[in-house]
Amino acid sequence: MSKHSEHGSTKSYVVGFILSLIFTLVPYYLVVNMTLAGTTLWVAILGIAVLQMAIQLLFFLHLGRGPKPLYNIVFFFATAGVIVITVGASLFIMNNLYRNMSPEESTRRLAQKENIAQIGGEETGACAQNKNSYIITIQDGMADPNLVEAERCDTLTFFNKDSETRVIRFGVYPAQESYGGEFEVVLDDARPETITLNQEGEFMFYDERDLGVSGSFNVE
Amino acid sequence: MSEHHKVDKSHEAAVTDRIMFGFLVYLMTDLLMFAVLFATYAVLRNNTLGGPGGAELFSPQLALTGTLLLLTSSFTCGIGMIGAREGRRNKVLAWFGITFLLGLAFLGLELYEFAEFIHEGHTMTTNAFLSSFFTLVGTHGLHIFSGLVWLGILMAYVVKRGLTSTMVRKLALMSLFWHFLDIVWIFIFTFVYLGAFV
Repeated sequence: MSKHSEHGSTKSYVVGFILSLIFTLVPYYLVVNMTLAGTTLWVAILGIAVLQMAIQLLFFLHLGRGPKPLYNIVFFFATAGVIVITVGASLFIMNNLYRNMSPEESTRRLAQKENIAQIGGEETGACAQNKNSYIITIQDGMADPNLVEAERCDTLTFFNKDSETRVIRFGVYPAQESYGGEFEVVLDDARPETITLNQEGEFMFYDERDLGVSGSFNVE
Repeated sequence: MSEHHKVDKSHEAAVTDRIMFGFLVYLMTDLLMFAVLFATYAVLRNNTLGGPGGAELFSPQLALTGTLLLLTSSFTCGIGMIGAREGRRNKVLAWFGITFLLGLAFLGLELYEFAEFIHEGHTMTTNAFLSSFFTLVGTHGLHIFSGLVWLGILMAYVVKRGLTSTMVRKLALMSLFWHFLDIVWIFIFTFVYLGAFV
Protein backbone atom coordinates (compact mmCIF):
# COMPACT_ATOMS: atom_id res chain seq x y z
CA MET A 1 0.00 0.00 0.00
CA SER A 2 1.40 3.34 -1.01
CA LYS A 3 1.84 5.75 1.84
CA HIS A 4 -0.01 8.38 -0.16
CA SER A 5 -3.30 6.54 -0.28
CA GLU A 6 -4.37 7.87 3.10
CA HIS A 7 -2.96 11.37 3.00
CA GLY A 8 -3.28 12.33 -0.65
CA SER A 9 -0.67 12.94 -3.29
CA THR A 10 0.50 16.14 -4.92
CA LYS A 11 -1.77 15.23 -7.83
CA SER A 12 -4.88 15.07 -5.61
CA TYR A 13 -4.03 18.50 -4.18
CA VAL A 14 -3.49 20.00 -7.65
CA VAL A 15 -6.77 18.55 -8.96
CA GLY A 16 -8.60 19.75 -5.83
CA PHE A 17 -7.05 23.20 -6.16
CA ILE A 18 -8.04 23.60 -9.83
CA LEU A 19 -11.60 22.41 -9.11
CA SER A 20 -11.81 24.82 -6.15
CA LEU A 21 -10.70 27.72 -8.37
CA ILE A 22 -13.39 26.86 -10.91
CA PHE A 23 -16.04 26.60 -8.21
CA THR A 24 -14.98 29.98 -6.83
CA LEU A 25 -14.94 31.85 -10.14
CA VAL A 26 -18.21 30.42 -11.47
CA PRO A 27 -20.46 31.78 -8.66
CA TYR A 28 -18.51 35.05 -8.72
CA TYR A 29 -19.26 35.62 -12.40
CA LEU A 30 -22.83 34.40 -11.99
CA VAL A 31 -23.36 37.14 -9.41
CA VAL A 32 -21.31 39.91 -11.03
CA ASN A 33 -22.78 39.39 -14.51
CA MET A 34 -26.32 38.91 -13.19
CA THR A 35 -26.76 35.85 -15.38
CA LEU A 36 -29.39 34.50 -13.05
CA ALA A 37 -31.54 36.22 -10.45
CA GLY A 38 -33.49 35.72 -7.27
CA THR A 39 -34.02 32.23 -5.91
CA THR A 40 -32.39 30.54 -8.91
CA LEU A 41 -29.17 32.47 -8.25
CA TRP A 42 -29.33 31.65 -4.53
CA VAL A 43 -29.78 27.95 -5.23
CA ALA A 44 -26.96 28.05 -7.79
CA ILE A 45 -24.34 29.77 -5.62
CA LEU A 46 -25.19 27.89 -2.43
CA GLY A 47 -25.22 24.61 -4.38
CA ILE A 48 -21.77 25.42 -5.77
CA ALA A 49 -20.55 26.29 -2.24
CA VAL A 50 -21.65 22.86 -1.02
CA LEU A 51 -19.88 21.24 -3.99
CA GLN A 52 -16.81 23.30 -3.16
CA MET A 53 -16.95 22.01 0.41
CA ALA A 54 -17.26 18.43 -0.86
CA ILE A 55 -14.23 18.96 -3.11
CA GLN A 56 -12.14 20.29 -0.24
CA LEU A 57 -13.25 17.50 2.09
CA LEU A 58 -12.32 14.89 -0.52
CA PHE A 59 -9.15 16.34 -2.06
CA PHE A 60 -7.69 18.36 0.83
CA LEU A 61 -8.93 16.55 3.92
CA HIS A 62 -9.24 13.08 2.31
CA LEU A 63 -12.46 12.35 4.10
CA GLY A 64 -13.38 8.71 4.17
CA ARG A 65 -9.99 7.55 2.84
CA GLY A 66 -7.61 5.31 4.72
CA PRO A 67 -8.31 3.14 7.76
CA LYS A 68 -9.71 5.83 10.04
CA PRO A 69 -12.08 4.99 12.88
CA LEU A 70 -15.76 4.98 11.94
CA TYR A 71 -16.70 7.29 14.83
CA ASN A 72 -14.92 10.16 13.06
CA ILE A 73 -17.35 10.03 10.15
CA VAL A 74 -20.34 9.40 12.40
CA PHE A 75 -19.43 12.41 14.51
CA PHE A 76 -18.95 14.55 11.40
CA PHE A 77 -22.41 13.78 10.08
CA ALA A 78 -24.01 14.18 13.51
CA THR A 79 -22.56 17.71 13.62
CA ALA A 80 -23.87 18.38 10.12
CA GLY A 81 -27.34 17.40 11.38
CA VAL A 82 -27.11 19.73 14.37
CA ILE A 83 -26.04 22.57 12.08
CA VAL A 84 -28.95 22.02 9.70
CA ILE A 85 -31.36 22.11 12.65
CA THR A 86 -29.74 25.18 14.26
CA VAL A 87 -29.59 27.27 11.09
CA GLY A 88 -32.83 26.04 9.52
CA ALA A 89 -34.91 26.36 12.67
CA SER A 90 -33.50 29.81 13.49
CA LEU A 91 -34.47 31.08 10.05
CA PHE A 92 -37.89 29.46 10.23
CA ILE A 93 -38.68 30.87 13.67
CA MET A 94 -37.35 34.36 13.00
CA ASN A 95 -39.12 34.60 9.66
CA ASN A 96 -42.43 33.70 11.30
CA LEU A 97 -41.76 36.11 14.09
CA TYR A 98 -41.04 38.89 11.62
CA ARG A 99 -44.14 38.24 9.55
CA ASN A 100 -46.47 38.04 12.51
CA MET A 101 -44.97 40.43 14.99
CA SER A 102 -42.99 43.01 13.05
CA PRO A 103 -44.19 46.32 14.55
CA GLU A 104 -44.29 48.08 11.17
CA GLU A 105 -46.48 45.48 9.52
CA SER A 106 -48.83 44.87 12.41
CA THR A 107 -49.27 48.60 13.08
CA ARG A 108 -50.16 49.18 9.46
CA ARG A 109 -52.58 46.25 9.44
CA LEU A 110 -54.21 47.37 12.68
CA ALA A 111 -54.42 51.00 11.55
CA GLN A 112 -56.23 49.97 8.39
CA LYS A 113 -58.62 47.60 10.12
CA GLU A 114 -59.52 50.00 12.90
CA ASN A 115 -59.40 53.06 10.69
CA ILE A 116 -56.75 54.88 12.73
CA ALA A 117 -55.59 57.84 10.64
CA GLN A 118 -52.82 59.01 12.97
CA ILE A 119 -50.67 57.53 15.69
CA GLY A 120 -48.66 60.00 17.76
CA GLY A 121 -49.21 62.69 15.14
CA GLU A 122 -47.88 60.51 12.33
CA GLU A 123 -50.07 59.48 9.43
CA THR A 124 -50.62 55.76 9.42
CA GLY A 125 -51.73 55.68 5.80
CA ALA A 126 -55.12 54.29 6.74
CA CYS A 127 -57.99 55.62 4.64
CA ALA A 128 -60.89 57.08 6.52
CA GLN A 129 -63.19 56.94 3.52
CA ASN A 130 -63.02 54.66 0.55
CA LYS A 131 -63.53 56.07 -2.92
CA ASN A 132 -63.91 53.93 -6.02
CA SER A 133 -64.12 50.15 -6.03
CA TYR A 134 -62.36 47.91 -8.48
CA ILE A 135 -62.99 44.24 -8.94
CA ILE A 136 -60.60 41.65 -10.28
CA THR A 137 -62.43 38.50 -11.22
CA ILE A 138 -60.48 35.27 -11.25
CA GLN A 139 -62.06 32.68 -13.48
CA ASP A 140 -60.67 29.64 -15.29
CA GLY A 141 -57.18 30.39 -13.99
CA MET A 142 -57.11 33.94 -15.37
CA ALA A 143 -57.32 37.31 -13.61
CA ASP A 144 -59.51 39.87 -15.36
CA PRO A 145 -58.61 42.68 -15.64
CA ASN A 146 -54.94 42.00 -15.01
CA LEU A 147 -54.11 45.68 -14.63
CA VAL A 148 -55.94 48.11 -12.39
CA GLU A 149 -55.18 51.83 -12.31
CA ALA A 150 -56.49 53.22 -9.05
CA GLU A 151 -56.08 56.09 -6.68
CA ARG A 152 -55.19 55.96 -3.03
CA CYS A 153 -58.08 54.93 -0.79
CA ASP A 154 -59.88 53.12 -3.57
CA THR A 155 -60.69 49.51 -2.82
CA LEU A 156 -59.75 46.44 -4.74
CA THR A 157 -61.81 43.29 -4.57
CA PHE A 158 -60.57 39.90 -5.62
CA PHE A 159 -63.43 37.65 -6.65
CA ASN A 160 -62.60 34.00 -7.04
CA LYS A 161 -65.10 32.25 -9.30
CA ASP A 162 -63.11 29.03 -9.55
CA SER A 163 -63.73 26.18 -7.17
CA GLU A 164 -60.21 25.97 -5.80
CA THR A 165 -58.94 28.09 -2.92
CA ARG A 166 -56.49 30.75 -4.03
CA VAL A 167 -53.72 32.39 -2.03
CA ILE A 168 -52.91 35.78 -3.51
CA ARG A 169 -49.45 37.10 -2.65
CA PHE A 170 -47.89 40.43 -3.51
CA GLY A 171 -44.74 40.98 -5.56
CA VAL A 172 -43.31 38.80 -8.32
CA TYR A 173 -43.07 35.06 -7.68
CA PRO A 174 -41.44 33.87 -5.42
CA ALA A 175 -41.34 37.15 -3.49
CA GLN A 176 -43.59 37.53 -0.48
CA GLU A 177 -43.98 41.23 -0.05
CA SER A 178 -46.64 42.86 2.00
CA TYR A 179 -49.31 45.28 0.89
CA GLY A 180 -50.94 47.41 3.54
CA GLY A 181 -49.61 45.08 6.21
CA GLU A 182 -51.09 41.96 4.58
CA PHE A 183 -48.84 39.24 3.26
CA GLU A 184 -51.54 37.23 1.56
CA VAL A 185 -55.20 37.29 0.65
CA VAL A 186 -56.89 33.93 0.92
CA LEU A 187 -59.80 33.47 -1.47
CA ASP A 188 -62.07 30.56 -0.78
CA ASP A 189 -64.44 29.17 -3.37
CA ALA A 190 -66.67 31.92 -4.80
CA ARG A 191 -65.92 34.40 -2.06
CA PRO A 192 -64.71 37.95 -2.65
CA GLU A 193 -62.06 39.59 -0.52
CA THR A 194 -61.50 43.34 -0.48
CA ILE A 195 -58.36 45.29 0.33
CA THR A 196 -58.05 49.03 0.74
CA LEU A 197 -55.41 50.58 -1.50
CA ASN A 198 -53.61 52.59 1.16
CA GLN A 199 -50.07 52.25 -0.18
CA GLU A 200 -49.00 54.16 -3.26
CA GLY A 201 -46.91 52.70 -6.04
CA GLU A 202 -46.92 49.92 -8.60
CA PHE A 203 -47.62 46.46 -7.28
CA MET A 204 -47.85 42.97 -8.66
CA PHE A 205 -49.79 40.01 -7.35
CA TYR A 206 -49.86 36.29 -8.08
CA ASP A 207 -51.61 33.17 -6.90
CA GLU A 208 -49.09 31.17 -4.97
CA ARG A 209 -50.70 27.90 -6.07
CA ASP A 210 -51.46 28.80 -9.69
CA LEU A 211 -48.88 31.11 -11.23
CA GLY A 212 -51.11 31.67 -14.30
CA VAL A 213 -53.14 33.98 -12.10
CA SER A 214 -51.21 37.21 -11.87
CA GLY A 215 -51.58 40.89 -12.53
CA SER A 216 -50.73 44.30 -11.26
CA PHE A 217 -52.29 47.38 -9.79
CA ASN A 218 -51.03 50.93 -9.75
CA VAL A 219 -52.02 53.25 -6.95
CA GLU A 220 -51.51 56.98 -7.37
CA MET B 1 13.62 -5.91 18.75
CA SER B 2 11.40 -5.94 15.71
CA GLU B 3 8.49 -7.14 17.86
CA HIS B 4 9.01 -4.26 20.25
CA HIS B 5 9.18 -1.83 17.34
CA LYS B 6 5.85 -3.10 15.97
CA VAL B 7 4.07 -2.62 19.29
CA ASP B 8 5.50 0.85 19.52
CA LYS B 9 4.18 1.72 16.05
CA SER B 10 0.63 0.58 16.75
CA HIS B 11 0.69 2.39 20.07
CA GLU B 12 1.71 5.57 18.27
CA ALA B 13 -1.03 5.07 15.68
CA ALA B 14 -3.59 4.71 18.49
CA VAL B 15 -2.34 7.91 20.09
CA THR B 16 -2.59 9.70 16.74
CA ASP B 17 -6.15 8.41 16.28
CA ARG B 18 -7.13 9.71 19.71
CA ILE B 19 -5.54 13.09 19.14
CA MET B 20 -7.15 13.35 15.72
CA PHE B 21 -10.55 12.53 17.20
CA GLY B 22 -10.09 15.09 19.95
CA PHE B 23 -9.14 17.70 17.40
CA LEU B 24 -12.12 16.76 15.23
CA VAL B 25 -14.39 17.31 18.24
CA TYR B 26 -12.87 20.75 18.69
CA LEU B 27 -13.30 21.59 14.99
CA MET B 28 -16.93 20.47 15.01
CA THR B 29 -17.80 22.57 18.07
CA ASP B 30 -16.06 25.48 16.40
CA LEU B 31 -18.14 24.80 13.29
CA LEU B 32 -21.29 24.88 15.45
CA MET B 33 -20.29 28.31 16.70
CA PHE B 34 -19.87 29.49 13.11
CA ALA B 35 -23.26 27.95 12.25
CA VAL B 36 -24.91 30.02 14.98
CA LEU B 37 -23.15 33.17 13.75
CA PHE B 38 -24.29 32.36 10.20
CA ALA B 39 -27.89 31.94 11.40
CA THR B 40 -27.67 35.26 13.25
CA TYR B 41 -26.34 36.99 10.16
CA ALA B 42 -29.02 35.40 7.97
CA VAL B 43 -31.73 36.73 10.28
CA LEU B 44 -30.27 40.22 10.71
CA ARG B 45 -28.75 40.90 7.30
CA ASN B 46 -31.59 43.17 6.16
CA ASN B 47 -31.87 45.14 9.40
CA THR B 48 -29.80 48.10 8.29
CA LEU B 49 -31.81 50.77 10.12
CA GLY B 50 -32.10 52.69 6.86
CA GLY B 51 -28.34 52.63 6.31
CA PRO B 52 -26.51 51.03 3.40
CA GLY B 53 -26.73 47.23 3.11
CA GLY B 54 -24.23 44.67 1.90
CA ALA B 55 -24.74 45.45 -1.79
CA GLU B 56 -23.63 49.05 -1.25
CA LEU B 57 -20.78 48.29 1.16
CA PHE B 58 -19.09 45.12 -0.09
CA SER B 59 -16.65 44.98 -2.94
CA PRO B 60 -16.95 41.64 -4.78
CA GLN B 61 -13.43 42.05 -6.21
CA LEU B 62 -11.95 42.39 -2.72
CA ALA B 63 -13.85 39.34 -1.49
CA LEU B 64 -12.73 37.32 -4.52
CA THR B 65 -9.10 38.33 -3.98
CA GLY B 66 -9.31 37.23 -0.34
CA THR B 67 -10.93 33.94 -1.34
CA LEU B 68 -8.23 33.20 -3.91
CA LEU B 69 -5.50 34.00 -1.36
CA LEU B 70 -7.00 31.67 1.23
CA LEU B 71 -7.71 28.93 -1.30
CA THR B 72 -4.14 29.03 -2.55
CA SER B 73 -2.83 28.98 1.02
CA SER B 74 -4.92 25.87 1.70
CA PHE B 75 -3.32 24.24 -1.34
CA THR B 76 0.25 25.21 -0.37
CA CYS B 77 -0.49 23.95 3.15
CA GLY B 78 -1.41 20.55 1.68
CA ILE B 79 1.79 20.43 -0.39
CA GLY B 80 3.78 21.37 2.71
CA MET B 81 2.11 18.47 4.56
CA ILE B 82 3.23 16.05 1.85
CA GLY B 83 6.75 17.37 2.39
CA ALA B 84 6.38 16.76 6.13
CA ARG B 85 5.33 13.14 5.58
CA GLU B 86 8.30 12.65 3.26
CA GLY B 87 10.55 14.11 5.98
CA ARG B 88 11.81 16.92 3.75
CA ARG B 89 12.49 19.81 6.08
CA ASN B 90 13.19 22.48 3.46
CA LYS B 91 10.09 21.61 1.47
CA VAL B 92 8.07 21.94 4.67
CA LEU B 93 9.57 25.32 5.52
CA ALA B 94 9.16 26.66 1.97
CA TRP B 95 5.52 25.63 1.46
CA PHE B 96 4.36 26.43 4.98
CA GLY B 97 6.24 29.74 4.64
CA ILE B 98 4.18 30.54 1.53
CA THR B 99 1.05 29.47 3.41
CA PHE B 100 1.96 31.85 6.22
CA LEU B 101 2.48 34.79 3.83
CA LEU B 102 -0.77 34.12 1.96
CA GLY B 103 -2.65 33.91 5.28
CA LEU B 104 -1.05 37.16 6.36
CA ALA B 105 -2.09 38.83 3.09
CA PHE B 106 -5.65 37.56 3.59
CA LEU B 107 -5.76 38.93 7.11
CA GLY B 108 -4.35 42.25 5.90
CA LEU B 109 -7.08 42.48 3.26
CA GLU B 110 -9.76 41.77 5.85
CA LEU B 111 -8.38 44.39 8.24
CA TYR B 112 -8.20 46.87 5.35
CA GLU B 113 -11.88 46.23 4.59
CA PHE B 114 -12.84 46.64 8.24
CA ALA B 115 -10.81 49.85 8.52
CA GLU B 116 -12.52 51.26 5.41
CA PHE B 117 -15.97 50.51 6.83
CA ILE B 118 -15.16 52.03 10.21
CA HIS B 119 -13.55 55.05 8.56
CA GLU B 120 -16.76 55.64 6.58
CA GLY B 121 -18.76 55.41 9.80
CA HIS B 122 -20.10 51.88 9.35
CA THR B 123 -19.11 50.39 12.69
CA MET B 124 -20.18 47.39 14.69
CA THR B 125 -22.71 49.48 16.61
CA THR B 126 -24.32 51.11 13.54
CA ASN B 127 -27.01 48.50 13.00
CA ALA B 128 -27.85 44.83 13.50
CA PHE B 129 -26.63 43.93 10.02
CA LEU B 130 -23.16 45.34 10.70
CA SER B 131 -23.03 43.85 14.23
CA SER B 132 -23.65 40.39 12.86
CA PHE B 133 -21.32 40.98 9.90
CA PHE B 134 -18.39 42.11 12.03
CA THR B 135 -18.98 39.26 14.50
CA LEU B 136 -19.11 36.56 11.84
CA VAL B 137 -16.26 37.75 9.62
CA GLY B 138 -14.24 39.01 12.61
CA THR B 139 -14.47 35.63 14.33
CA HIS B 140 -13.15 33.99 11.19
CA GLY B 141 -10.35 36.56 11.04
CA LEU B 142 -9.48 35.83 14.66
CA HIS B 143 -9.19 32.14 13.78
CA ILE B 144 -6.89 33.01 10.87
CA PHE B 145 -4.77 35.09 13.25
CA SER B 146 -4.54 32.20 15.75
CA GLY B 147 -3.68 29.85 12.89
CA LEU B 148 -0.86 32.15 11.80
CA VAL B 149 0.56 32.33 15.33
CA TRP B 150 0.33 28.54 15.61
CA LEU B 151 1.96 28.02 12.22
CA GLY B 152 4.73 30.47 13.08
CA ILE B 153 5.52 28.61 16.32
CA LEU B 154 5.49 25.22 14.56
CA MET B 155 7.85 26.48 11.86
CA ALA B 156 10.22 27.83 14.50
CA TYR B 157 10.20 24.35 16.11
CA VAL B 158 10.87 22.68 12.76
CA VAL B 159 13.88 24.93 12.28
CA LYS B 160 15.13 24.24 15.81
CA ARG B 161 14.34 20.55 16.30
CA GLY B 162 13.78 19.15 12.82
CA LEU B 163 10.91 16.96 11.63
CA THR B 164 10.23 14.51 14.45
CA SER B 165 7.13 12.30 14.25
CA THR B 166 5.47 14.45 16.95
CA MET B 167 6.22 17.48 14.82
CA VAL B 168 4.62 15.92 11.75
CA ARG B 169 1.53 15.15 13.82
CA LYS B 170 1.33 18.73 15.03
CA LEU B 171 1.71 20.01 11.49
CA ALA B 172 -1.08 17.65 10.41
CA LEU B 173 -3.41 19.16 13.05
CA MET B 174 -2.44 22.64 11.96
CA SER B 175 -3.16 21.87 8.30
CA LEU B 176 -6.51 20.33 9.29
CA PHE B 177 -7.33 23.59 11.07
CA TRP B 178 -6.28 25.62 8.03
CA HIS B 179 -8.40 23.58 5.59
CA PHE B 180 -11.30 23.94 8.02
CA LEU B 181 -10.95 27.73 8.00
CA ASP B 182 -10.88 27.68 4.20
CA ILE B 183 -14.17 25.76 4.09
CA VAL B 184 -15.81 28.17 6.55
CA TRP B 185 -14.59 31.07 4.41
CA ILE B 186 -16.15 29.55 1.26
CA PHE B 187 -19.53 29.93 2.97
CA ILE B 188 -18.77 33.47 4.15
CA PHE B 189 -17.72 34.38 0.60
CA THR B 190 -20.83 32.83 -0.92
CA PHE B 191 -23.45 33.73 1.64
CA VAL B 192 -22.23 37.07 2.98
CA TYR B 193 -20.38 38.67 0.06
CA LEU B 194 -21.95 37.17 -3.07
CA GLY B 195 -25.32 36.82 -1.34
CA ALA B 196 -25.45 40.57 -0.77
CA PHE B 197 -25.72 41.09 -4.53
CA VAL B 198 -28.45 38.53 -5.20
